[in-house]
Amino acid sequence: MAHIPDGVLSWPVLAAGAAVTALGVARGLRGLDPARVPRVAVLSAVLFVASLVHFPAGLSSVHLLLNGLAGIILGWAVFPAMLVALLLQAVLFGFGGLVVLGVNTMNMALPGLAAGLVFRAAWRADRPRRAMLLGALAGGGGVLATALLVGAALALSGREFMVAARLVVLTHLPVMVVEAVFTAAVVSLLARVKPEMLESPP
Amino acid sequence: MIRVLALLAALVAAVPAQAHKLKVFATAEGATIIGTAYFSGGDKARGVAGRVLLPDGTLAGEFRTGDDGGFRIEAVAHADHTISVDAGDGHVASMVVPAAELAASLPAGPTAPAVAAMPPATVAQVDLIEAAVARQIRPLREQLDGYEDKVRLHDILGGIGTIFGLFGVLAWVSAGKRRP
Repeated sequence: MAHIPDGVLSWPVLAAGAAVTALGVARGLRGLDPARVPRVAVLSAVLFVASLVHFPAGLSSVHLLLNGLAGIILGWAVFPAMLVALLLQAVLFGFGGLVVLGVNTMNMALPGLAAGLVFRAAWRADRPRRAMLLGALAGGGGVLATALLVGAALALSGREFMVAARLVVLTHLPVMVVEAVFTAAVVSLLARVKPEMLESPP
Repeated sequence: MIRVLALLAALVAAVPAQAHKLKVFATAEGATIIGTAYFSGGDKARGVAGRVLLPDGTLAGEFRTGDDGGFRIEAVAHADHTISVDAGDGHVASMVVPAAELAASLPAGPTAPAVAAMPPATVAQVDLIEAAVARQIRPLREQLDGYEDKVRLHDILGGIGTIFGLFGVLAWVSAGKRRP
């Protein structure tokens, strides 16, 4: 879904997406402590692989986006991680265009960033139950927000919003469910085993 | 609860498989263009709207893919036909069926290359042979086209390696800056 090909979106949308992504990447890299770089690299590799691994959900197959999880762990650094992952997917597999890379990165990273902010605002280390609920919310919400952003990008490029958004959201309902469960599991595991991974990145 | 689960199951069953990329493949058999729209990975794109354009931009026809993702349309002129499909959710794809693949008996298109003058009987024979050959090699071309977009393990591993390399360089640069 975050793989919009070239030639679909209009120029203003492309420019806006590129600007947001450039700002996000700059902010993400500036605040990045060298000791945290390996973490960003690992998450970037996970994001790159996540959408290549399809697993069955009912009769169809889905793949995870993991932008909510990446946002929780990386904060602003989700932008450079996502940009690199999407760039390599575009170059190696032809998933999504190169000119729309800014928009595609924004559609994935912005919900991730928001999920991270919400998570850190509400999370308490002494409440393991809450970590799981917030993880589910971040996972499912991240997918939903990305679907809505894709719909909005298509709508602003002259397509009917309701048609595009309904299609994109509907096809991603199973992803939302799977992603919510997966993110909840990972986050609650991290909260128990390695809570410093979830703490506010500098 | 059961109702919610049933609804979810129905939704899951109703939606098409996730895909990264829509593709369209079309060849000419005589004066007919036959093709399929599919997602990378091989799932057919059902009920997707498509249009056919001539080189000068005129609309030569519109179609909707069937349950097997297939479509067939009549070529209108001896000219390049651009087939483009649009799934409506941001997935688009196009492919050109070159004039050379189409039957020589078609009327010349707006920018068609001059067709060598042949007596009508020969034209009909050549058309027949070309259509037969096209039909024979079609599965092969289709397979080749799909193979091009297969995700392979070495690509994935190469991508992961590149990511770690990139961030390694970043760590190197930023660590160098910190040294007194």
